[in-house]
Amino acid sequence: MIIYSVMPMELIMENMEAMSEIQYEETEIDGVKMVVERTPQTSEAKIVRLLSWNPQDYLNPRFAPGTTIYFRPNA
Amino acid sequence: MPFDIQQFGVKRTQIPPLQNRPDLRPPVNPGLAPTPREEQAPQGDPPQQEPQGDAKKSALVESIQQLGQTSIASSPDSNIHCLSIIGQIEGHMAMPPQNKTTKYEHLIPQLVAIEQNPKIEGLLVILNTVGGDVEAGLAIAEMIASLSKPKVSLVLGGGHSIGVPIAVSSDYSFIAPTATMTIHPVRLTGLVINVVESFEYLEKMQDRVVNFVTSHSKIEEKVFRELMLKVGELTRDVGTNVVGTKAVEYGLIDEVGGIAQAMHKLNQLIQENKQKENLLQ
Repeated sequence: MIIYSVMPMELIMENMEAMSEIQYEETEIDGVKMVVERTPQTSEAKIVRLLSWNPQDYLNPRFAPGTTIYFRPNA
Repeated sequence: MPFDIQQFGVKRTQIPPLQNRPDLRPPVNPGLAPTPREEQAPQGDPPQQEPQGDAKKSALVESIQQLGQTSIASSPDSNIHCLSIIGQIEGHMAMPPQNKTTKYEHLIPQLVAIEQNPKIEGLLVILNTVGGDVEAGLAIAEMIASLSKPKVSLVLGGGHSIGVPIAVSSDYSFIAPTATMTIHPVRLTGLVINVVESFEYLEKMQDRVVNFVTSHSKIEEKVFRELMLKVGELTRDVGTNVVGTKAVEYGLIDEVGGIAQAMHKLNQLIQENKQKENLLQ
């Protein structure tokens, strides 16, 4: 992989170690599978990417990467 | 605490109940004039009306909780799709969280959807990017270039490095007078083994970028390569920083302009496209 950017490489790659601590999880919302990043100690998660075959799902602003979603605790 | 993923939805505790939010309460009918629905309900049977009101209220509460706010009165659906390419273009490797990134795995299916969706008649690409992954950038550029719908790009702030092929991939490109584009060589940082092979590999990668840019814009290959290898323009690197009007002079970008010009051009291209389709039918 080659990065072609005006940003210095050391700035782009800073905090690379922190990446290994991120917890990724697969989940499904309204029938759309996606990978989410769990925020530790909370019921929140952030959408990382969709695993959908339907291109129209990618136009849905609710599923944009970075959107925060909430897990509801079991009653 | 156990979580039920299937039950996943919304945080219910964050939004205060509707009763405490007079601003969100549905408007009460002035003079207690019955609404058409209430008129149909049998008179003198208030318990039957109760659930109706509650259902209405809970529907509103539901919509507040689902979206975090009541839905804003939506304007008629736009026939253009605005694609903003910002920060780093993230490719095969996830970048550390301090980077703002545009993810190619989301953009590529989105471009497929744009091609497929009959409601979208044109694409406006807005760029303010510092560059990023060569393969991901070229993939996005190729997707935009091969889209059958009219597309216009607008460079705001910066469209550097791999942002250059994306900027020129559209039918017509604009650059803001203050926006810049940095053209510099593709290179490898860090440990380099097999110098000769690495150099040749990079040369090939660079040729891919150069070929794409020269075949999708009016700039000549010789000029583009000269700009790429110019010394004394950038502090940390060889290359050139091309500002607004200069980019147009070199033929890299079609016109200096802003959002009004870009939208006008896009609408014009959409009209032309429609006329062409009508002729074919």
